[in-house]
Amino acid sequence: MPRSESSGLTRREFIKVAGVGALAAGVAPELLFVRHGAAASRELKILVWSHFVPRFDKEWYDGYAAGWGRANGVAVTVDHINLAEIPARTASEIAAGGGHDLIEWISPPSQFEPAVHDLTDVVRDAEKRFGKMHPLCSRSSFNPNTKKFYAFCPGWTIDPGNYRKSLWEKAGKPGGPVTWEDLVVYGGKIKREQGIQLGIGLSQELDSNMAGRALLWSFDSAIQDARENVVLDNPKTIEAVSYMARLFKESMVPEVFSWTAVSNNQALIAGRATYILNSISAYRSAQKEVPEIARDIYFTPALKGPRGTGWNSEHVIYEYVVPKYSRNLDIAKKFLLDLVANYDQAMYHSELYNSPAFFDAPIPKGDRGYKAVPGAKRLRDLHNAWFGDDPFALPGEATGKLAVLKDAERWSTNMGHPGPANPAEGEIFSTFVIPNMLASAAQGMRPDEAVKQAATQARAIFAKWRGKRLVGGRT
Amino acid sequence: MTGQDDGGGIRDRAGTLAVLMIAPAIAYIVAMIGVPLLLAINYSLSDATTGDPVHHYAGLVNYRSALADPVFRLALKNTFVFALVSQSIVIVLSRVLASALSMPFRGKWAVRFLIMLPWTAPIALGAIGWLWMYDSIYSPFDWLYRRAGLLGKPGDPFGPMTNIYWLGRPTLAMASVVIVHVWRLLPLATVIQLAGLSAIPGEILEAAEIDGARGWRKAAWITIPLTLPIIGIAFLFGIIFTFTDMTIVYILTRGGPVNATQVLATWTFFKGIEGGDLAQGAAISLFMVPVLAGIAALLLRMARRAEVT
Repeated sequence: MPRSESSGLTRREFIKVAGVGALAAGVAPELLFVRHGAAASRELKILVWSHFVPRFDKEWYDGYAAGWGRANGVAVTVDHINLAEIPARTASEIAAGGGHDLIEWISPPSQFEPAVHDLTDVVRDAEKRFGKMHPLCSRSSFNPNTKKFYAFCPGWTIDPGNYRKSLWEKAGKPGGPVTWEDLVVYGGKIKREQGIQLGIGLSQELDSNMAGRALLWSFDSAIQDARENVVLDNPKTIEAVSYMARLFKESMVPEVFSWTAVSNNQALIAGRATYILNSISAYRSAQKEVPEIARDIYFTPALKGPRGTGWNSEHVIYEYVVPKYSRNLDIAKKFLLDLVANYDQAMYHSELYNSPAFFDAPIPKGDRGYKAVPGAKRLRDLHNAWFGDDPFALPGEATGKLAVLKDAERWSTNMGHPGPANPAEGEIFSTFVIPNMLASAAQGMRPDEAVKQAATQARAIFAKWRGKRLVGGRT
Repeated sequence: MTGQDDGGGIRDRAGTLAVLMIAPAIAYIVAMIGVPLLLAINYSLSDATTGDPVHHYAGLVNYRSALADPVFRLALKNTFVFALVSQSIVIVLSRVLASALSMPFRGKWAVRFLIMLPWTAPIALGAIGWLWMYDSIYSPFDWLYRRAGLLGKPGDPFGPMTNIYWLGRPTLAMASVVIVHVWRLLPLATVIQLAGLSAIPGEILEAAEIDGARGWRKAAWITIPLTLPIIGIAFLFGIIFTFTDMTIVYILTRGGPVNATQVLATWTFFKGIEGGDLAQGAAISLFMVPVLAGIAALLLRMARRAEVT
């Protein structure tokens, strides 16, 4: 819709933003106050989440963006936002038809596909310069039905198991759990004998959603198949749900039903969790706050299910969208390509929280702000070197604890696995269908009944989004 | 001044002046309530999503989907339970407090100030404070119970676990949310009831006392009947507040565990904004409108009665 430089909201825009605002105002009144100034010819407004590693924003991202702006003659503004407010804020800006040129999500923003630019050309350019984008990233940003990249993914975060070595040693499993069954057998033993429980969320929040999906996939089930048909109600899901009821009884306490995004960190740091499923941020927090606990924290890859399958979800997937209202598409595209070119710094300044989407991207020459790694030419080399010899280990702490994360991309996958991320999967995530299915069984509901209820909800959600032609499949 | 046009300016014409004075309020109500309400109705009859600027008429499908959804039905029930239970407790406690505060004692103003604090603090801050109080690991309530020998060992009355897990057990989570609603709305209800008590003519109370009415008899036959309209106003006002509030549930439980504390306001947000289904979110939010409109009408009627008496 054309708009003069000086105009404010058009009548249509006002109506849209007022409607969205009416729904969103209850939790975030600031959503109504959308930035809507007239754009300068060379400017870029970026909205990103407040990173879990505070130094990432303060010591790197903000400075990097400002420096990039100076180098390219662009006035860059970076606004940070709490991760929980990203969906409402994006909805508000799109309804208003004005706001930031680049919005970073930490989950696939597939429901916004009709309102954002197709970034297929940027992905193609990036793949020419930096090699193939990792499949878990492309499946989180590409819609195979419309053949569009609705988002651009420069990186992601690994979601390993974190366990307390001393507790598992006493229980007779010094290497930590290898299978989901180990959590019942040894986790239960630790709870009975040492009085410390496991911490896998069964609550209406982010981490519980990821853990629930990891369990389903490792039990060879899923919400959808590769062609986006709902396949949740099958015997393997019932097997996984039954397992979770057993795991809760043996190894956990009711705190998991009120799990929040900070519970992992809090329980581990308080010495009240023998195993959690989380990124390395809990460990990094422990290094700063309770070093003796941090020294005792070790990591596991995805646990294996009854048939040897082991998958974990990505913990964070960085997804940039460019809303259609943006008049700075070309500038935004250049920013994204340059961000990938400098992703070595993102990895380092996030204290290895961020992993690259383009493992083959070359490392730029010169002083990169960290101690050079001999022989490292590509991000893959840095990834392996840093996880093999952690530059952020505490003095006297083992430096190879993160080595099990070197091949994390082999056991990590996207929301929607084995299919692509899509709006139906997103709504199932946002309305907590999977953690509630598992929690219902843990609280006493028959597993087959819990699965049936969840599958009914999933089918209704998929059918609705198929009507919008954003999701494939038939059932 | 008679208000007749004596050739003066607009300020001297009572009718015109009245319209001018009330116009900003009407404009505000139309813009901030009327327009969003019409838009919500429009969205609820469409297939609108947060990510699709173009939407089409979809009839009543969103209302039918909402009614078929077991989570919606649970949220509807929870909304009524939270509102009615919390406001019933509020009315009883506020009555006790108002009676106590209507008596003379030293430090009354300090007590009144302290009672008003929860009302003056931003609700989000208050709810975060309560979230810490109910924490699964660091709850000070649990610490007190452990110190008192009520919790943490086999045979203890509150169980052998180290914590109560206030927000992790469905019934306790509901009770926790009700407690915060009560904490939040008690000051307002107390002030309203205090105003009602102060309005009772002194000679009526004196006559009752001469006739031998004391304590409960005086309350049951004199003060409660005379302040009934104002009690009704406090109750209905609290119901509306609780019905439309999502902050407390969103911060404390996000509707969990397993939707045990889900209410219409939070379910609207999760479905409509987080889940992207704007049309469905609008339909869910509109289920509250007839109830709230009815309560508002009742409230206005009672307010008029209170004014007359």
